[in-house]
Amino acid sequence: MNRSTVLKIIQPAPAGEPLPVVEAQNFNVWFSDAHILNNVCVSFGEHQINCIIGPSGSGKSTLIRSINRINDEVEGFTPEGTILLDNKNIYDKSVDVNRLRREIGIVFQKPCVFPKSICDNVLFGLPRSRKMPRREKLQIVERNLKAVSLWREVSHRLNDRAHSLSIGQQQRLCIARTLTVNPRVILLDEPTSSLDPVSTRAIEDLMLKLKEEYTIIFVTHDILQAKRISDKLIFMCNGQIIEQGSKDKLFTNPEKKQTWNYLNNEYCEC
Amino acid sequence: MNRRRMDRLFTNLTWLAVSICCLVLLFLFGVITWNGIRAINLEFLFTASKNFGAEGGIFYQIIGSLLLVVFAAVISFPLSLGTAIYKSEFLKNRFLQRLSNTLIYGLNGIPSVIFGIFGLIFFVNVLNTGISWFVGSIILAIMILPTIVLSTYLSINSIPKIYRESALSLGMNKWRVICRVLLPQGIGGAITGVLMGLARAVGETAPIMFIATAFSGVDVPGSLFEPVTALPTHILALSQQATNKQALLNAWGASLVLLTLVVIFSVSALFSRIKLKTSSVR
Repeated sequence: MNRSTVLKIIQPAPAGEPLPVVEAQNFNVWFSDAHILNNVCVSFGEHQINCIIGPSGSGKSTLIRSINRINDEVEGFTPEGTILLDNKNIYDKSVDVNRLRREIGIVFQKPCVFPKSICDNVLFGLPRSRKMPRREKLQIVERNLKAVSLWREVSHRLNDRAHSLSIGQQQRLCIARTLTVNPRVILLDEPTSSLDPVSTRAIEDLMLKLKEEYTIIFVTHDILQAKRISDKLIFMCNGQIIEQGSKDKLFTNPEKKQTWNYLNNEYCEC
Repeated sequence: MNRRRMDRLFTNLTWLAVSICCLVLLFLFGVITWNGIRAINLEFLFTASKNFGAEGGIFYQIIGSLLLVVFAAVISFPLSLGTAIYKSEFLKNRFLQRLSNTLIYGLNGIPSVIFGIFGLIFFVNVLNTGISWFVGSIILAIMILPTIVLSTYLSINSIPKIYRESALSLGMNKWRVICRVLLPQGIGGAITGVLMGLARAVGETAPIMFIATAFSGVDVPGSLFEPVTALPTHILALSQQATNKQALLNAWGASLVLLTLVVIFSVSALFSRIKLKTSSVR
């Protein structure tokens, strides 16, 4: 990646009040007996970077992982309430979970590439990729690797093992893999917490680019990162939404004292 | 000072224990190799036995043994794979998980002669199959089932959760996650299990002596329900002719061949395990 691109000052787009794509209403989560999310009501705007912040153990990851129902796989997970995608409850019995997960992709904290080639990793989620003609496959790989700004770095070695990439490149490969199945919403669960500053900036840059086409919901510990790139900010603590709104409002004029405390002192007394 | 002496004493005791174990194994290897090597030549390996094994070679015994264990593996492998996948990916109830473990370990602990008797009563007498190598393979397959199941289960279950979640979050259903993510990474463990199972099965005498083998006059079976002759039962038969020197020499030779087969399977299992550990990116 071009160094100047990586280090350029990132200016997020001005935040409007777009329609919510995903909306949680009175959403509760229990893991066995522990009440992890408590009456969460939150909406995530379309083509925005919706950023969830809060101290460790506040339920940020649980919330984001509930949005594409990956938590269903966790033992003892009991949801209650609704999460709406286009006004349809994703926890409804009629919902095809696999289809939902293609519409709402997720990228985890630690990059997880499969022990295959770079090319195969990009195509991994496509249902019929094995039967596709080679040219079509390469087009898909090129398009998605370009979307995550990885094409120039790996175009000459698409058949190398994905594990040979750096951690930052692996994380971008994971995002490319998610893009391949054409999601509308991309969830990112602390995607930069295991990366170095340059890779972190590359991913931030990428998120700003991706929000043009996708709705982004991401969790971060890093308040400065939230300040740099988010449009909408959601502050969580103890499994509850303390405050949500545009970034400018929360940073300059929050309604709750806890929000001000957390954003300015990284300290939470709730 | 006293403490230091105790420390040294315990170190020496553990060293002694290890030495005794190794020496016993080396002694066995040494004796069998020393005696067996004198019997082994190309003729011994590639001709049929004559005169109840006192003359001739052990060609059909080697073929019979390999036939028995290879088919045992062929029967056991898919069953074990299915069991391991079910245990690792679908069985969430802790009680049932523990119960299945107990049963699998229990199956592993059953004395081999019991399997032989079971085969004799159930297959040979009740189902009226007669003495059949295929029945022997089935019984050996049941015997090595726990070894393969446990090895496969451990290797599939140790694949980090994030691989499953990453695949599921791309919209794959569970079956595809199993086929495309878990099996390619877990198959090494299954192969290790099969090789360990083969190493055990090839040396078993009791399960096959009543149901699958005949002591002489047998070559390559033409159907599923014919007897074979196998190395362990051949050694048993030869060792009972203690007065015939040539028969005893042949018993040593056959023992060395059997031991070599066990070593080949065990060492392959070891290598496949080492390869598994170094190649998997966990």
